[in-house]
Formats: sequence, C-alpha cells, structure tokens
Amino acid sequence: MIFRGERSGGRAIPWRPSNVHRGVSGLRFPVGRLPDEALLSGLATGDPELAELFVRRFQHRVFGVAMAVTGDPQLAEDVAQQTFERAWRHAQIYDSRRGSVGTWLTAIAHNLAVDAVRARRTEPMAPEDLDPLLDAVTETPERWALADEASTQLRAALARLPREQARALMMAGIYGMTAQQIADAERIPLGTAKTRIRAAMAKLRTALASPEGGDHVR
Amino acid sequence: MSGDTHCEKLHEVGAELALGVLPGRERAEAVAHLDGCADCREYVRQLTGIGDRLVGLLPESEPPSGFDTRVAAGLAEQAAGAAGGRPARAAAQGRRSRVRRVRPRLAAAAAALTVAVGFAGWAVGSAVEGAVTASSSPAVESEPVLVGDMIPAGGGQPVGEVYAHPGSPAWIFVSVALPGTPYNGRVTCLLARADGTTTRVGDFPLRAGRGNWGVAVPVDLTRYSAARLTAADGTVLATAQLQQGKVLAPET
Repeated sequence: MIFRGERSGGRAIPWRPSNVHRGVSGLRFPVGRLPDEALLSGLATGDPELAELFVRRFQHRVFGVAMAVTGDPQLAEDVAQQTFERAWRHAQIYDSRRGSVGTWLTAIAHNLAVDAVRARRTEPMAPEDLDPLLDAVTETPERWALADEASTQLRAALARLPREQARALMMAGIYGMTAQQIADAERIPLGTAKTRIRAAMAKLRTALASPEGGDHVR
Repeated sequence: MSGDTHCEKLHEVGAELALGVLPGRERAEAVAHLDGCADCREYVRQLTGIGDRLVGLLPESEPPSGFDTRVAAGLAEQAAGAAGGRPARAAAQGRRSRVRRVRPRLAAAAAALTVAVGFAGWAVGSAVEGAVTASSSPAVESEPVLVGDMIPAGGGQPVGEVYAHPGSPAWIFVSVALPGTPYNGRVTCLLARADGTTTRVGDFPLRAGRGNWGVAVPVDLTRYSAARLTAADGTVLATAQLQQGKVLAPET
C-alpha cells in the first residue's frame, strides 16, 4: 500500500498496476503517491526523474512565496530555482519534526526572497502591495473550505486582528522588515511598531491554542 | 524562571526574533538567553511555528512555462557535476559518501548549534543553514533515521541503500543497482528483526537489475535490524543492516 502524505489525511491508496508509472531510469511508483519525505529522499539521490516530480509538486507554492515577497517575476523565478537547489543540497538535514516538507521549502523560499529583495532595494516593499496581500491571506472563500483546520484558524485569527497590527505583522513576517523599518513606513514610533508586532503574534498564538480557534481575540 | 527579567525581556522581543527581524545585538542577547532557558525556547518555538504558517498562507502562483523541467535538468546537471561528470547514480553515491552516520552521540558543533537556535523553527533554521554552509564544520544533525547499505548476497561492494524514517507515517526508501545482474522482474522487500522474523514490505520491480521506490510502512521501524531483497524464488539478492543514527549535512 502506498499512503498519501500526512496532510492528505494519511489515506491508504491501493497500489494498482494501472497507477504505476515507469520512468526512463527504471524508477517505478504511482505518480504523485510518494510521501513528500520519500520524494525528498529521492531528490537527494540525484535522480532526474524524482527531481522533476519534486519540483512539479511544490513549484506553485514556492513560486507563490517568491512572487509575494519580491513582486518581480524574474526575481521570483531566480528565488524559486535557488530554493530547489538548496533543498537538493540540504535534503539530508530536513527534519520532519520541525514541519512538513512544504513548510521547509516555503521557509527556504521566504528567506531567499527576503534576502534577494534586501540586496536589490532600499524599500523592502511597495506600500500598495501590502493591503491586497493581506486580503489574500485572510480571505476565506469556498476554496479554502477543505484546507486544514489550522490554516483556517490562522486566516480567521489574522482577519480579526486590528488592521494596523495585521499590517505590522505582514511587514515583519512576510517582507522581513525590522521594527524600525515598519516604524518608518507607517510613520509611527519604534516602540509602537514593536508593540504591534508583539500584540499581533500574541493574539495569533492565543487563537491557535484555544479549541474554538480564538473567537475572543480582539 | 518566568519571573526573571531576562525572560520578560525575551518575551518583549520574542515575536521579532521568531520572525527573523530582530536586529543583531538584540538577537544575540536573546539567543544567549535561550541557551539557558527552556521555557523561553518553547515560547519562541511556538512563535516561530506561527511565523512559518503565516508564510504558508501566501497564495500559490503559476511559475513560468517549463520551470519544472529547467530546474530539474539543472539539478541533474549539478548532481553529475558534483561527481566530476559521473552519471547521476554515481553522483548520488558520491554525495552519500560525504554523508556520515553518527551514533546517538551528537557532534559538539551540532549540539552547540542546536542549543543556539534551540527552538529549531524553520525560519531560524534557514539562518542556521546559511551559517552551516559558510562554516567549515559540517556537523549538523538531522532527524533520526535508519540507514543501511545493500550488500549483495555473496558479499562485496554496496549495491544500493536504504533510508527508513520511523515517524508517522513511517516510510522506507530503497535504491538498488545490482551490477552484472540484468534481472528484470519483481523482488520482495522484507524487514527483518534481530530474532530472524520478517515482515514483508511489498513487491517491487527491477529493470536490468535497477530500481528504487519509496513506500509508507505501517510498522514500528525501530524494531527491525535489516532490510532484505529476495527474488521470486526466495533467493536473497541483497541485505542491508540498518543502523540507527543521524545524518550529517554535506560539507559543501
């Protein structure tokens, strides 16, 4: 039996011959059925077919992070490519106790994107980009209905934050801006910027820790 | 410890630390405190997890056409290049040879690094990754895994390798290339306990003696000491003695 990854609910999928893919290198397995961790191990072996499967599985997520942070398709492509190269080089140090393969990859992509933007611009973000992005991460349309519960809770908690706290959190957590940069961008005292970041994170932490998803977050 | 002024200070800057935006000096002070405070490490670990999940909310985006094949080709090229032009398979073995297994002891550098970032979130982890890349020390621990080289039944050089992850779900990844054995057909993979009893993982195809596969296995992998490949008639083709250990990061 082949199992989907944990985030797919750990459902067992019978390995039927009709589902089996045979590649030029002799690799043979049900396409898309390998757990993310196994695919990452395969990536480490240097098998080109596994590499393509791995990239295909995660490219939209990685490119999405790179685009959101950089706002530049060319730079985002560079960042996304570097992300996969780094994952390949460091596949052996992936530790599933710290999070899923997807989380690991998006963290790599995020850090590379923030570094890339810092290297190219003095301004880490265009102010007009922030509100649309904030709307995007807090939207709860029907297509998120099947998303995992924790993400739904986080989106909801984020949506309940006072707008100025959510902006500060996005500036720090997504664009990698320091409290001083946030203070400059928002024209507020440094202490206020720090307080907003801290308050926002505290509320999200409370929301995610409560069984009801933090209905009382203000 | 929670009433300690250092803990209070840490809680003031913990969010910025977890999000990776705390400036150098403050960051150094905070990390120094985390070195000796388990409660604060846990606090920052939780915040780091929230930061990672925040990034995970970003919308997906369609990459440029052909991105996947270009990147995969680049990785294969690098794999071949890393082995001095040898085929990808050999390159993989070359990489593998730089991966050292260690017994439960942790290299001092790894331990220090782990303590320094204690909470071990990915956001901080990637910063550590950069430090590791730049450092001359290759010692960074990974998750515990079971690893073993597939040795042919008659002895000799390894003909494959096994990685097994005893988590949930547990999974096993096997790669094998039997030299001079143009074996086409199915082989059975068995997990063997120290007392000789075995559990069948499944049947897998080999083509020209080569194949690799990964499957989830609903067993406690830590109870097994070896993995074995047998032909359809029961002949043992190769066996890997599984070692419990950790894998160190490549030196490059």
